[in-house]
Amino acid sequence: MELLDRYLQAVKKHLPWERQDDIFAELRANLEAQLEDKEAELGRPLTKEEAEEWLKEIGPPIQVAGRYQRQQYLIGPAVFPTYWYVLRLALMWCAIVYAIAKAVDIATHEVSASAIVSAAFYLPWILLINAAIVTLVFAGIEAFGARNPAKCLPFASMGPGWTPAEMRPLEEDSEKKPRSYPKALAEVIVGGVFFVWLLLFPHYPVLWLGPGASALAAIPYKLAPVWWTFYWCCVGINGFELTWKIVGLAGGTWNQVRPVRRLAMHALSLIPLGVLMTAPDHSLFLLKNPVADAAAHGAQIASANKGTETALTIAFAIVVLQLLWGAGKMGLEAWRKRAATQ
Amino acid sequence: MTVSESLFENLRLELRRGCLTLAVLAQLKQEHYGYTLRKALAARGMEIEESTLYPLLRRLESQGLLTSEWREEEKRNKRFYRLSGEGEQIFARLLEEWNQINTAITNLL
Repeated sequence: MELLDRYLQAVKKHLPWERQDDIFAELRANLEAQLEDKEAELGRPLTKEEAEEWLKEIGPPIQVAGRYQRQQYLIGPAVFPTYWYVLRLALMWCAIVYAIAKAVDIATHEVSASAIVSAAFYLPWILLINAAIVTLVFAGIEAFGARNPAKCLPFASMGPGWTPAEMRPLEEDSEKKPRSYPKALAEVIVGGVFFVWLLLFPHYPVLWLGPGASALAAIPYKLAPVWWTFYWCCVGINGFELTWKIVGLAGGTWNQVRPVRRLAMHALSLIPLGVLMTAPDHSLFLLKNPVADAAAHGAQIASANKGTETALTIAFAIVVLQLLWGAGKMGLEAWRKRAATQ
Repeated sequence: MTVSESLFENLRLELRRGCLTLAVLAQLKQEHYGYTLRKALAARGMEIEESTLYPLLRRLESQGLLTSEWREEEKRNKRFYRLSGEGEQIFARLLEEWNQINTAITNLL
């Protein structure tokens, strides 16, 4: 029967090559016997439509041949949990390292919208390449393990030598643990002392420079006026946080953990950084006597301003990333809670 | 196919998968080639598709549970299978396991 021959030919193409002829001969014998039975029942040969219907019932050639292949996974169930864990870690660190590297690169060259867009555009490709590399490595581990099951205990934690005693100790979730009263009180006291120090140190340089304060008058540099704006921003934020803590302590809400408040305070810290970054002419340090000292110290001042500006840009990028990370975690937690209640 | 039908079908296939092996091993206490084995199983209420049964025979043979030989019958070369010595032992243990599961499920219902 020509149709059966064509069917078997199509199956053969997809059979495992090392056993191809043997399987092909067996399948032919079985299907021919079945065909003979069908024709004997009917008392006539099958029509083309009946033969097509019969072969359709057996299944598409590629699927039938596929059942003779060894069961193979790109990454099997024994390796998959570790693969998934490593993949997530790799992607997270890849994104962080890329973002910091690009931020530094952009800051040290020319900050422009096109450079930022280009950096953001390449991020998915970088992540994709990383994911492909991790997947390839784990597919290699899987393939090696499948061929050498005796030699490859894929991972110690999944091997027969695993013992419960090896498990990591319980991790404390500091974000969910309620704050104790002594801790809340200590935070207010330390915060109060710091706040007083913050208010006093501009008038008493010895409070932050110690004996070195006397050398201040001798150096030819001074801080630019923008530092005063920065200073008052810091005072405002610290005063606000201290007041909040005192109100919490007095109102009996000191034991509550408020991630939104923590995130808001984190966001506020961007203000003083932003003030310094937008200083007029990017000058954070000035010469006390520009006319007299420009020749001797002008280059040093320019270098110090450039270096500080770069450091501020990096710090700003890190704070923004931390902020995004915190907001992302909070969003994910809220989504999980909502999904659990549905 | 609705979601619940699809779920049922997946669970049904999962349930049948292990039973098929047991049924094939049980039937191969007597020698059969693929097609007659399929007919014998169907006659006892255990229908198996060709595309499932024939690869299963190969797998069980490669695992050492079956032996096979090519022989001519009715002017056609056919591959005949039967339980190996190891297959008989494994089958006896599987049958015991099956009976335990069957008893447990009956007790639960």
